[in-house]
Amino acid sequence: MKLFIFSTLLSTLFLAACSNSGSTTNTASAQNDTTTSTAPVAQTKAAPADGIINGYLQLKNALVADDDKAAGEAGKVMTKALNAFDKSALSADQAKVYNDIEGTVKEHAAHIGDNVGNIHHQREHFESLSQDIYDLAKAVGTGQKLYFDHCPMYNNNKGANWISEVKEIRNPYLGKSMPDCGSVKEELN
Amino acid sequence: MKRTKVVLLTLFALFLIIQLIRPVRNKSGQAPETDMSKVYKMPESVQGIFKKACYDCHSNNTDYPWYTNIQPIGWWMAEHISDGKEELNFNGFGTYSIRKQKSKLKSIEGSVEENSMPLSSYTLIHKDAMLSLREKALVLDWLKKTRDSISLNK
Repeated sequence: MKLFIFSTLLSTLFLAACSNSGSTTNTASAQNDTTTSTAPVAQTKAAPADGIINGYLQLKNALVADDDKAAGEAGKVMTKALNAFDKSALSADQAKVYNDIEGTVKEHAAHIGDNVGNIHHQREHFESLSQDIYDLAKAVGTGQKLYFDHCPMYNNNKGANWISEVKEIRNPYLGKSMPDCGSVKEELN
Repeated sequence: MKRTKVVLLTLFALFLIIQLIRPVRNKSGQAPETDMSKVYKMPESVQGIFKKACYDCHSNNTDYPWYTNIQPIGWWMAEHISDGKEELNFNGFGTYSIRKQKSKLKSIEGSVEENSMPLSSYTLIHKDAMLSLREKALVLDWLKKTRDSISLNK
């Protein structure tokens, strides 16, 4: 009988341990690719990637304001824009670049959406994302003038880049602690 | 007293029944050609560190401790491994696009640097997976060099 009670206690303990740890696992939710072109993405011929880029800019501005919640929202906006993206508007060369960046951009956007509460991690993904969006904007073009900015101080002076819609520097990596650190490196059209 | 006995016995029976539901094991045998160590030149020291600290959850081969045969621990483990592999699979590194490889190298670097990986719940039991300062430096140095050697936009 003693053994019975012991084993039962043990089993309930395991169950409890399981549910506790289960909640801490990072469920990197794989967003489903329900590709429809009905999403409200401005798809003019001149700038087919505007939906994605606008989502990125929304994210950038959230990080400038140190707002992890708004950043998470913007990550979700980007995911929607990616799923709604119409590749048929692209030339073969443009499609090649798009196909190259699509996977990583989706991944970064999903991680940023899932990491509300951890703005540090959101910024890490934002750094890689910025390179992808830069390559996309270069290849596909943009409907608006954009600025490619560089901050030399982020990540222990390793530095990082981002894209902005305004010429004035608004740093998304250091946020309110150092809003005007950085300089414009390139203008994109 | 009789009632507690019934409840306890039921719980125990439940515990026995769930032992029958066993998750599929993450064991595929050999390391494939797409393993990170085959795609990039990697010293054995670095390879050894990745293997002992990362491969249980981030490859197609897990070294299972005995207690993972007990459910629900085994289920919990299976979920961890499936999440881990989706995020990063060392064995499948060569199947990633160059851009993704570069991004993953950066993420590994970040995780090691800030000690978010290996998970503390993992190193609690796998003491040898806890990286020493020297091991960390070795891995970080390799990751950085390798990442810098990859250029996008060829």
